[in-house]
Amino acid sequence: MTSIEVLDGGLFTTIQDFGRVGYRKYGIPVSGVMDIKSYELSNWLVGNPNGTPVLEFTLKGGRYLFHDNTVIAITGALMNPKINGSEIEMNCSLEIKEGDELELGYAKRGCRAYLAIQGDPKISKVMDSYSTYITGKFGGFEGRTLKKGDILEWKYLSQETEQRKTPKEKIPYFSSKIIVRVIKGIEWDWFNQSLKDQFLNSKYIIGSSSNRMGIRLDVNPLIVSKKEMISSAVIPGIIQLPPNGKPIILMQDGQTIGGYPRVAKVLDEDLWRLGQLKPGDQLSFILLP
Amino acid sequence: MELKSFQHSGVSWQVSILGEKALLLKPDVESDKLHVIHKFSHLLDEYLIFGVVDIVPAYDSIAIIFDEGLRNHIELIDRLIELSTSENVIASSLNREVPVCYHLGLDWRELENHTNLAKSEIIEIHSSKIYTVAMIGFIPGFIFLDGLDPSISCPRKSRPRTNIPEGSVGIGGNQTGVYSLESPGGWNIIGRTPFSFFDIEKSPPSKLKAGDKIKFVQISEYEFWDF
Repeated sequence: MTSIEVLDGGLFTTIQDFGRVGYRKYGIPVSGVMDIKSYELSNWLVGNPNGTPVLEFTLKGGRYLFHDNTVIAITGALMNPKINGSEIEMNCSLEIKEGDELELGYAKRGCRAYLAIQGDPKISKVMDSYSTYITGKFGGFEGRTLKKGDILEWKYLSQETEQRKTPKEKIPYFSSKIIVRVIKGIEWDWFNQSLKDQFLNSKYIIGSSSNRMGIRLDVNPLIVSKKEMISSAVIPGIIQLPPNGKPIILMQDGQTIGGYPRVAKVLDEDLWRLGQLKPGDQLSFILLP
Repeated sequence: MELKSFQHSGVSWQVSILGEKALLLKPDVESDKLHVIHKFSHLLDEYLIFGVVDIVPAYDSIAIIFDEGLRNHIELIDRLIELSTSENVIASSLNREVPVCYHLGLDWRELENHTNLAKSEIIEIHSSKIYTVAMIGFIPGFIFLDGLDPSISCPRKSRPRTNIPEGSVGIGGNQTGVYSLESPGGWNIIGRTPFSFFDIEKSPPSKLKAGDKIKFVQISEYEFWDF
């Protein structure tokens, strides 16, 4: 057993895995990690099976005290991780000794970092997943973000402690200006050519109220058709255009039904890149035929 | 993007791409749209097409979400067409009476002002109808009900509440519904049910599904707290 004490939970730290699939009909979003690529890498580094829950840090990581020996790995956003005050390497497996203190600061590049710990957490799954869903107040650690004083317990599964390191070319680079690929949304043809052009040619700034539910984009408002929309299903990656003309990209904790036109959808393959954007970063779209 | 359409028991369904692993179906019918949607959703629930992981009915559409079990949209459409030639399943829907304490409503003044009806008349009208669960969402367990009497419709609040207690029964525009869990929201709250529709520990977590029928029955505040 590995016991980890939260000394400072950072800005927004939750337990996440691949999320819960099959409950959208009851209004329950998938949740799960925002950057699936860094997530899968972190579990591989410590020898965990794919799908093992991890800690997801947002913008600032916090401080964690390990009460037992274990093996960890940190991937994703660059938060200048330190153990007992000395800088440590990311994207490789690290041996932790009883009494070690891990500290992660503000994200210098990217938005979300991942901490994989060898083994499995001693918490119960909700609807087949360990993922925290904040709005619903369930999943993960008591359905909330971690805070000072929380004790996390990880069941140590005896594993080989083979040292693993990510080859340099496999480490994702997080740019603050990105282009993601989109396909046409269900209501794409509600918009005239000039609005479609404006949508595809705009440079969007990531809004400060972006979160796990959705990424809010700041831009010169796109003039929206007044046509009445009947509420219908939405999924992560869908770009909604509300009456204020500023698009919202629905993410992992996004609602299941939406009442705004679905202008486009970001490819599933590109969603992990959106998970690494922070407020102020720049985004544009390219339409796939 | 519209892909193609297919026929099922006399109804033409228009198919479009919602995502790389999701289709959206819309029935081409003038009347009884919700009934047609619920019937087909139940058929899909019953047949369990391999690879389909979620079926999300709404007012004028059904979303079908799939995984690696289906290679692409066309393979799914082929399976849907195949379904359409098979026999119909009779949808089993639930009829449930739901107790409501209307005295725990928070927005009676708005309702009375907007409808020009007295609270007692609004309660009488609201509790006399049988409603159909149109869909569940946009947040966990929010129940959208179809069948509100137009005389008691009332626009959503201009300033949504940040916290609506669980079990709250509301009117938003020409719809009525129940907030199964505590959440923010903009509907006018006219009462509260002690009945719990939603339990994350249960599978499925919701006691109701789209297509079920409910009727509200008025209870006193004493009965509410005693429930």
